[in-house]
Order: sequence, then C-alpha cells, then structure tokens
Amino acid sequence: MLTGLAVIGVARFLQQRQDFENATARSYQLEISARNRLAAGAHTAGARAAIVTQQHKREKLREEIDSETRDTALLVGAGLIAGLTGAALLFSGLISSMRRPLEELVEASGRLAGGDLEARVKVGGLSETAALGGAFNEMAAELQRRAGERDQLETMKDEFVLTASHELRSPLTSVQGFAELLMLERDKLSPKQADTVEIILDNTRHLVRLLNDLLDLARSDAGRLTIKPTPTDTGPLVEDAARTMRSQTEAKGQSLHLRTDPNLPRINVDRDRIRQVLVNLLTNAHEYCPEGAAISVTAERRDAEVEMVVSDDGPGMAEDQLEHIFERFTRGDAGLTQHVGGTGLGLAISKSLVELHGGTIDAESSPGRGSTFRVRLPTIPATTTSVDGRQTSDMPTLPRPEEAL
Amino acid sequence: MTTRVLIADDSETILLLMRTRLEMEGYEVLAAADGEEVVELMHSATEPDPDILLLDAMMPRKSGIEALRQLRAEGVETPVLIVSAHQDEMDAGAPSDVEVSGFITKPIDFDRLFASIAELTNL
Repeated sequence: MLTGLAVIGVARFLQQRQDFENATARSYQLEISARNRLAAGAHTAGARAAIVTQQHKREKLREEIDSETRDTALLVGAGLIAGLTGAALLFSGLISSMRRPLEELVEASGRLAGGDLEARVKVGGLSETAALGGAFNEMAAELQRRAGERDQLETMKDEFVLTASHELRSPLTSVQGFAELLMLERDKLSPKQADTVEIILDNTRHLVRLLNDLLDLARSDAGRLTIKPTPTDTGPLVEDAARTMRSQTEAKGQSLHLRTDPNLPRINVDRDRIRQVLVNLLTNAHEYCPEGAAISVTAERRDAEVEMVVSDDGPGMAEDQLEHIFERFTRGDAGLTQHVGGTGLGLAISKSLVELHGGTIDAESSPGRGSTFRVRLPTIPATTTSVDGRQTSDMPTLPRPEEAL
Repeated sequence: MTTRVLIADDSETILLLMRTRLEMEGYEVLAAADGEEVVELMHSATEPDPDILLLDAMMPRKSGIEALRQLRAEGVETPVLIVSAHQDEMDAGAPSDVEVSGFITKPIDFDRLFASIAELTNL
C-alpha cells in the first residue's frame, strides 16, 4: 500500500520537477527580457519591478520544489521500508504456509503409523503442499479401506471358528460321554474292548484340546482373549490341575509329584485360565515323556511372586527348539511328535495367558536331561495370607490294573 | 427323597447321555428339548417341580437363557446351571439380569457336574 503511494508520489514529484524546471526557465527568460529592456533604456521602473518579481517567483518555486523533494524523499523512504517489510512478511507468510501443512503432515503420519486410520490432513495452501496433503489423504483412505476389509475377514474367520467350535462340540460331547459310559462298566468289557474305548477317549480329548486351542487362538487374534481374575488360593489351584492329569499319567505308568509351600500367598488370577496353563504344561510333560517317567509340579513363594514349576525327566529339548518353544505351531522333536498329540498352540496360548496376568513363563531344557517350565505370577499385595494350610502332599501313582494293559 | 433334575438340550443324544449318567448317580430326570418345553414343564400342575435345572444356553425356539429369564420373572428360584459349548457363549449368554448358579462346558465333565448339583441342592 505504502509502496504504491511512494511510486505514485515519485511519479508526481518527477512531473512537479519538470514543471519547476519549465517555470524557472520561463522566469529567467522574463528576467532577461526585462534586463534587455532596461539596457535598451526602456521604462526603468517597470523593468526593475519585473526583474525583482521574477527573482521572487523563482525563489518561491525553489522553496516549493525543495518542500516537494523532502516530501517525496520521505514518501520514498517510507515506501521502501514498507516494501521491505512487506517482502519480509510475504516471505515469512510463504514459509509458514508451507510449514503448517508440513507440520500437520508429520503429525498425521505419526497418528496413522500409530494405528489411527482416521488421520487426515487439511488440504489447502500452496499447490505443492496441497498435492502432498491430497496424496496423504488418499493413502490413508486406502489404508483404512483395506483395514476395514481385513477386519471384516477377521470377523468372518472368528465367527466361523466359533460356529465350528459349537457345532463340533455337540457330537464330541456325545462321543466322549458314551465312551466314558462304557468305561464305567469296564469290568464287563474284555481287555481288548477296554483298550479300544481308551483309544477313543484319548483321541476325543485330543480333539477337544484342538478345538479349545483354535478357539483361544481366534480369541487372541481378535484381542478377545480375556481373563476374569479373582483372589485365588494358590495351593488348591495347583492341586486341581494335578488331579485332572492323574488318570492320564497313571495310565502311562508315570509318577506325578505335587509339592506346594504350606504358606503360599493368594494370587489374583482367572482360576480356569491358570489351571489351563498348568494342565497344558503337565499334558506336554505327560505326552513327551516315556512310560515310567517322573513328572512334578511345585508351587512356592518367590518375593512378590508365586513360582509354579512343572518339570520332568523326559527326553528334553535342544537349544534351537527351546528358543522357539513359545511360538505358534512350534513343537518338540519332529520324530517324537509323530506319536504325540498336540496342536503346537498350547505353549503360545499359555504364554499369552500368563502375560495377561502380568506374569512370566520360561523354559529350561537340554537333550536327555528333562524339561522345566516356570510360571511366575504376582501375588496379591494385600495383608491377607494364604488361608489354605495345605502342606506338601504327594500323589503316588497307582499302577494300572493288570487286565487293562 | 430323590433329587429331581430337569435337563434341556436340543440334541437327543446329549439328553440320552445326561439322563443315563444322572440316573446312574441316582437322580430323577425330567427332559426338555428347548426352552418352551422347560417353561411348560415348570408350569405343569401334575409334574412336581425339579430341584435343579440344567439348561443348554443355545436352543431353538427358546434358549435356556430366555426360558430362565421368564421363569425368574415368574418368581421361580430353583438353582440353574447353564450348559454351553464354550466360554464365549457363556459371556454372551449370561446377562447380569438373570441369576445363574453356575456354568458347565461341553464336553461335560460329569464328576464336576455331580459335585455342582450336590452342592446346589444340599443348601
């Protein structure tokens, strides 16, 4: 604005300067002709008056033009400052009009990378940043669309697993139930028939475990593997898990020793889920160990944690197997797994479950020297101590009845 | 006096299995194929009321949960065990407005079931 005025001011000044030059030149001409008339002896008083008038006139013109010069200089100065300021403003405006969209892009990218698929930027400003913003938004929309499709597929998969699990469970309930019914009248069966029913039962249990693992896996993937912790007495929980395994270990002539500390603190856990973890560890020991092996489960206090240990004197694992033992579909020795039921999911699920409880699980093993799995769970930092006064209790295994062998 | 157990499941095979096992344990068994039949049996003037109900969570016509909600609204206070295929069904099928004594998952662990029944009917 001021710069514009300065330009107009300067143009006007140049015109005034021209007018001043012209007026001054004419004034000199008038004075010269007056002096000529005076020299020619003309009317003296009139010529002298004309000369003085012209001199005054030029003096006035000079004053006027000087004043104009000063004004114009001021105007030009102001214009110049205004111009520079304007340029600076314009430049900083240019920078900020680039910087703001870029900052917004950086922020939105961060949100997008962090999983917020709704992240978008305002498109506008300079054409370059607008194009960048537009491209970003298109990319984010595409990501969101694909994520939506993937979620839909995941949901369909989860629903399928749930439905399949439900539909398979009814016939399995019948198969297992009626096989158990036959075993209740075992004394009426021939040894061969009893063995046959035992095989049916073993395989049914395997199928049920497979179904449960698949279900847990689907839940875990959907982020729906949840726990409902309640204050739980540690001793009975461990004993319950061991009791569940007793008939199976007995059938394989394996010993199952249970040892729990007399003053175990309570733990805030989902009882069924921790029982599931222990049963899984015991099942692995039972299945990977040969007949007559010794399996033990213990629980004791370790500072602010309870440590539950399942160990065996079975074949153990090599280091490279041990490394991946908690990963999905990882199983022990391939040669061994030919004879062992299992999904390769149990330990991965156990790990998820223990970690959901804020605990840890690890394994120790070497070939020929058995395996040891340790589960550590935080105790309840309350004033109450264990109410179960259970001491060490061994569960001696009874040899399987001779006729069943 | 014999404990009367009302069982409801849409699978005839499972009803047969449950009836056999329960009768072997010395229980008297009433069977229903869906929630509607459960309500009819509970309304029946000729049948003495059962001491405990074992209801499948998912059944056609009327689910165990729906039948239970209706019976509870009518003032029936009989203990109820919900039998379901898995935890997700329990979570979905156990609204807080219906009082349930416990859950049993399939395949049924009959030793646990008998222990639960004994505990709930000896109160």
